[in-house]
Amino acid sequence: MASLITCPHCGPRPKEEFSIRSDASLTRPAPDADAETWHAYVYLRDNSRGRHREYWHHAAGCRRWLVVERDTQTHVVHSVTDAADATRTRGAA
Amino acid sequence: MAEIVLSHRAALAGVATGRFGAAFDSSRSLTLTALPEGHVLHLLAAPGAVPHAGAITAAGGGTLRAYAPGQWFVVGDERLTASQKAEIAGRLAGVADVVDTSHGRVRMALSGAAVERVLAKGTAVDLAPSAFPVGRSATTLVGHISVQITRTGEQSFELMVLRGFAESLWDELIGMAREFGVEAVGPA
Ligand SMILES: [Zn+2]
Repeated sequence: MASLITCPHCGPRPKEEFSIRSDASLTRPAPDADAETWHAYVYLRDNSRGRHREYWHHAAGCRRWLVVERDTQTHVVHSVTDAADATRTRGAA
Repeated sequence: MAEIVLSHRAALAGVATGRFGAAFDSSRSLTLTALPEGHVLHLLAAPGAVPHAGAITAAGGGTLRAYAPGQWFVVGDERLTASQKAEIAGRLAGVADVVDTSHGRVRMALSGAAVERVLAKGTAVDLAPSAFPVGRSATTLVGHISVQITRTGEQSFELMVLRGFAESLWDELIGMAREFGVEAVGPA
């Protein structure tokens, strides 16, 4: 139980309590977008080194979806936000 | 048409009971007890709304336990009648929806001087009394099982788990407590 993720609702918990979904920075294309756009959205990922925004699910805790911002090189976790709050903030920006 | 009679069988009926591990010593050993399958109500609140514990107990409901943002459980040893459940739902109208999950979750109690040390083998949650006072609840993994832990006293906790995991958690807790000695008391 090495890596701790600080859930905004539950406090610090081992990563085993969570399941990771995917990149949280992607924006779903319009339903009538062309096939190439959909292909890129579904399959193509940068696998970059550095800061990442991802959806994490606190599956064994509060069962809320979270947005975790972490560094894939240093393992530093920069922020953990409830996904609903993250969406609201981004929508307002 | 033949009448169907449902008979209740406790989820923990037939589990291992008795003393296990180190010789039982009341100053350090653990007691694991199956709790009555009374009621477990799941409350899903409107955004920002907080159910009032007094309104629930006034209608015959048990204690209110925090589960997740906007969600609580009401648990107690008594089985509730349909009219009691309807009364609780009525008193919470506009505050929270009530879902009866009494059949789906099972509670057990673990107590003893070493109770925090035993539970710390299974969860990373800080169970020190200063961080986790009486009445506090947390949903967390104990080993590989998702469990709601509640401190019910200075040296006692209650664990609530989905029914299908109850036997596994029971066996796991006995294993975790063996070094201190444990007495397991099955359902009445
Ligand atoms: Zn959580």
